[in-house]
Amino acid sequence: MWRFVAGKGAQYLFVLALTVALNFVLPRMMPGSPMVFLAGEEVGFLTPEQRGQLDALYGLDQPRWKQFLTYGANLARGQLGYSFQRGRPIAEMIGERLPWTLLLVGLGLVLATTIGITLGALAAWRRGSAADLGPLCVAMVFESVPSFWLGMILIAIFAARLGWLPIFGAGTPGVSLHGWAALVDRARHLVLPLSTLILITTPGVFLIMRYSMLSVLGERFIATARAKGVTEAAVLRRHAVRNALLPVATVFMLNLGFIVGGATVIETVFSYPGIGRLLYEAVLNRDYPVIQGTFLVITVSVMATNLLCDLLYPLIDPRVRAA
Amino acid sequence: MRTAGAFLAALTLILIVTLPLSGQPPTLRMAITRDEGSLNPYTYQTGYPGWNLMTLVYEPMFTPDLDNIPQPWLARRYTVSPDGKTWTFTLHQNLRWHDGRPMTADDVKFTYEYVRRLAHPRWTPQVRSIESIETSGPTTLTIRLSAASSGFAAQPLADLPILPKHIWESVTEPRRFNDVIGSGPYRVAEIKDGQFYRLTAVDNYFAGRPKVRELVVPIIRDATVGFTALKAGEIDTTIVPLSPELVAEFEKTGGLKVTRGAGYASTLLQFNLEHPILKDVRLRQAIANAINTRLMVRLLLLGYGVVGSPGYIHPDSPFYNPAVTFTASKSRAVQLLNEAGYVDRDRDGIRDAPDGTALRFTLLTLAGNPIRIRTADLIRTWLRDVGIDIRVVAQEDASIISSVWPDFDVCKGRRFDMAVFGWSAPVMNRTTVLRDLFHSDCRQGTINIGGYRNSDVDRLGAELATAVSPDKQKQILFEMQKVIAAEVPVHTLYYQDGIYAYRADKHAGWVYQKGQGIVNKRSFVDPPKP
Amino acid sequence: MTTAAASLAMPLPRPRRRLRLSVVGWTGLALLAALTATAILAPALSPYNPEETVADPFLSPSRAHPLGTNDVGQDIASELIYGARISLTVGFLAAALAIGIGTMVGIAAGYLGGWIDTLLMRAVDLVLVIPFLPLMILLAAYLGPSFWNIIIVIGILVWARPSRVIRAQVLSVKALDYVEAALALGSSARRIMFRHILPAVLPLALAQFILAASSAILIEAALSFLGLGDPTAKSWGSVLYYAQVRNAFLSGAWLWWVVPPGLLITATTLAFAFTGYSLEEVLNPTVRGRRDAAALRPAR
Repeated sequence: MWRFVAGKGAQYLFVLALTVALNFVLPRMMPGSPMVFLAGEEVGFLTPEQRGQLDALYGLDQPRWKQFLTYGANLARGQLGYSFQRGRPIAEMIGERLPWTLLLVGLGLVLATTIGITLGALAAWRRGSAADLGPLCVAMVFESVPSFWLGMILIAIFAARLGWLPIFGAGTPGVSLHGWAALVDRARHLVLPLSTLILITTPGVFLIMRYSMLSVLGERFIATARAKGVTEAAVLRRHAVRNALLPVATVFMLNLGFIVGGATVIETVFSYPGIGRLLYEAVLNRDYPVIQGTFLVITVSVMATNLLCDLLYPLIDPRVRAA
Repeated sequence: MRTAGAFLAALTLILIVTLPLSGQPPTLRMAITRDEGSLNPYTYQTGYPGWNLMTLVYEPMFTPDLDNIPQPWLARRYTVSPDGKTWTFTLHQNLRWHDGRPMTADDVKFTYEYVRRLAHPRWTPQVRSIESIETSGPTTLTIRLSAASSGFAAQPLADLPILPKHIWESVTEPRRFNDVIGSGPYRVAEIKDGQFYRLTAVDNYFAGRPKVRELVVPIIRDATVGFTALKAGEIDTTIVPLSPELVAEFEKTGGLKVTRGAGYASTLLQFNLEHPILKDVRLRQAIANAINTRLMVRLLLLGYGVVGSPGYIHPDSPFYNPAVTFTASKSRAVQLLNEAGYVDRDRDGIRDAPDGTALRFTLLTLAGNPIRIRTADLIRTWLRDVGIDIRVVAQEDASIISSVWPDFDVCKGRRFDMAVFGWSAPVMNRTTVLRDLFHSDCRQGTINIGGYRNSDVDRLGAELATAVSPDKQKQILFEMQKVIAAEVPVHTLYYQDGIYAYRADKHAGWVYQKGQGIVNKRSFVDPPKP
Repeated sequence: MTTAAASLAMPLPRPRRRLRLSVVGWTGLALLAALTATAILAPALSPYNPEETVADPFLSPSRAHPLGTNDVGQDIASELIYGARISLTVGFLAAALAIGIGTMVGIAAGYLGGWIDTLLMRAVDLVLVIPFLPLMILLAAYLGPSFWNIIIVIGILVWARPSRVIRAQVLSVKALDYVEAALALGSSARRIMFRHILPAVLPLALAQFILAASSAILIEAALSFLGLGDPTAKSWGSVLYYAQVRNAFLSGAWLWWVVPPGLLITATTLAFAFTGYSLEEVLNPTVRGRRDAAALRPAR
């Protein structure tokens, strides 16, 4: 067991190291320097000495390898650096944005998984009936719908046309609300992005659960249970669902890894201040430190959950434990 | 399962009950599209609206009026010596910083010397010609220049905001410094990173009470979302100019007012004058003739724009030379091409130069801007009609800059054929605009990204830089426009009108600054009485 | 779906099995055929040349223009018909690249085993672990908005998951009698991989290809929508891009400018998905509790 953990741990460390290196190299491979977003067209007026001063300030004049060493050293100290654009510590910026993404996607995944599992089990149980084919068709359609398009349609209908819900952001800007009012405000701003996310994610869970249940239901031990005289409901609950949940649990945990990056498009469409959108904006602004920092945080959380998933899976699936 | 269901039901109920929008806050909500740092002179980001917002908090000595002429603001009176080299100012008496301390001439002296030491791309070049600054008393200041400068009133006087000496004198890394104590009519009350700024009016502002009590500036990155929010009443205005296709819709919407004025931001077809084939002035003239800018304005801007002037200067500018005109004509384009020897020698549908090289060019355009992309597409179609092959390449800002204006340094050369480029509104207001755009010395023609060389333009440009009297400036600029129109180093396509929509019931005091828009100081506070 | 249970009881597949698709599978295939036909016959079907300004911009639907005109006066219906070409081409090419890489990796890892297997699977882990869409945005921004760059970007990110599936299949095929016989007869590894393993996994690769294509189309749409695609190529995603940046949602134009392209993307993706899922079901019976099969499509 511990060898397994150590082995997995070593692999992930290797992947982490590679990611850090990739993280550093990729943004720098992009054409154009970040100067355009630091100074705009007025930079043309600077003398070379003054431009050099700006370069030194941002460390852009150092050779690449030196920049990398500085980067690595800072990382080891937990220092993610300062945004080119904002001058603010990146850790702080990420700290402000991460909770919003976690809220949105966390809630979305939990709800989507709950709904998906329920409907999937039901569909498999009543295969061929309306409870099966109806959700099946709907699920396949929604799995094929572009997430941004769905989000915009929802905005067009519920926000722009009917005016029921707010259009952008996580909360009404400029107002400091407290307690209950704050909660309600946040909830109202969450409805549309959350709904979009749920509509996009549930079908996947549903399909896998259904598929998995069907396989389980066809197995011998189910027939055995029935032959033994166990009631249908008990068969469903105690035997079928529990076994069918295994792949779903896997998918859930794997999707958990994408919690931080996966909702980028939705965050952009709804102007939701999450970390995915932070990355997108940083890429457009060539804000290297922010790109690096955000990417790293996203990757580390994905790997951490993957590791968790690898560690927990033997506990759930006894067959693997023995291996 | 049941508890989950109950929870969902409860949530839905709560939402339905609170559906009617929570009460309207009594502030003016104006959306911007990008983060603007901590809104101080070293961290704000964009020329527009960043600078406009920042100067509500930190003030320059002068402020441009609605015709873009710099007027004294912090200075009560000023005099200029006849040779243009000595400027003397008397500041107002009751200037105060937001922390209560008085603002004095020492702060002004400090600021001008500070930006000279600690490089800032915008401010530092503006103070290059300052030789010395002396203060005599808390409100008197004398600046001596090494040479007369025609644009001194505009930059730095009306551009560089004054920093409080007692706060900034020990700051060595200004870009990481987030202090926001200024002297302006508004103070920064709250910044929520990436979400909004909240500015509150300074009640005892020296020039009088600001017109709006509180200004909330949410950051809505997406222009469309911004317009939707404006239409729905979630915000009161946005700094993004209204897209032409929305004007009709917004004019119909109750509660919204739409105002319109000249826009000084330009869109132009930039040539690389060092390209072996594009060097030929007749070819450039032919290309200009093949482009129907009138149709462009109608199609792309739905009529809300002005056709580009051949001499670059906007028709509404006081320096516009009305004698310099141009009408595109496709037949003339074909004629010019034939006369200059560009004919299809190998029968492939593309004209060839006398030496056999086919007329194939790459046209760069900004990827994130749909109107620019459509502009490039139209140019491609029209030039194909006269036998010139164009390949449109859309790139983002940073990539285009690295090809067209590497490191923002004209001295570093260029590597492109043609590009759909543009300059922001403030460029049109520079007295030295045509010198900056076309002087062959890369230290004077700082935005001569095409690498244009012409001795007449150089001579006139050098004169312009030191001409202090407006009449002389006008005379020189008139002359320069004639040359530019004949030579076509750039082909100015159009100027998009500034169309702005706002909720009239929230604030009716918006005033339009020519070429720039409604977000300016005078929309919020009246000028001080001398 | 109906054959799933039945196929579970059967032994592992040998090559050259008869395909028995469900109704859903045939529906998907038919839809795909229709869309492909539209793409090929675009010049004949389309009322106008989508690149030409044929009327005033922002017109509502009329008899002359059933879906109105866009922001530069081009006919939207024509844009959508020609758009099938771009979207399908990107989908196919990106998927081909992805499956090409994925199949080779899967076969090499599965058959050769040992350190090659470990190395390749760690590479797969790396690719899977890096967050998908952010990396996509990064790469698209770096490589620049162009037709081929988008195909490359999608291809080099989508290959990872299929390679796992292929590898699993190779592991089962490896143990089959005729493969062991070939080995005993002295065939080289390369020969075995190409002449025996590859044909055996081809049907599965085909299913994976179709699923990859459905992802590719969605990703291309998202990238084009974000402005990272080729703006001069008229894909459905780019039609949505212009609709959005020219404020279709505010003027009611969204009904004919936004809804149709979205429906077309959905229909195409659905068609691929129907076909791919059905094929995979028939060809990949070893799905009981396996982690890999559970993750059938890359996350969006």
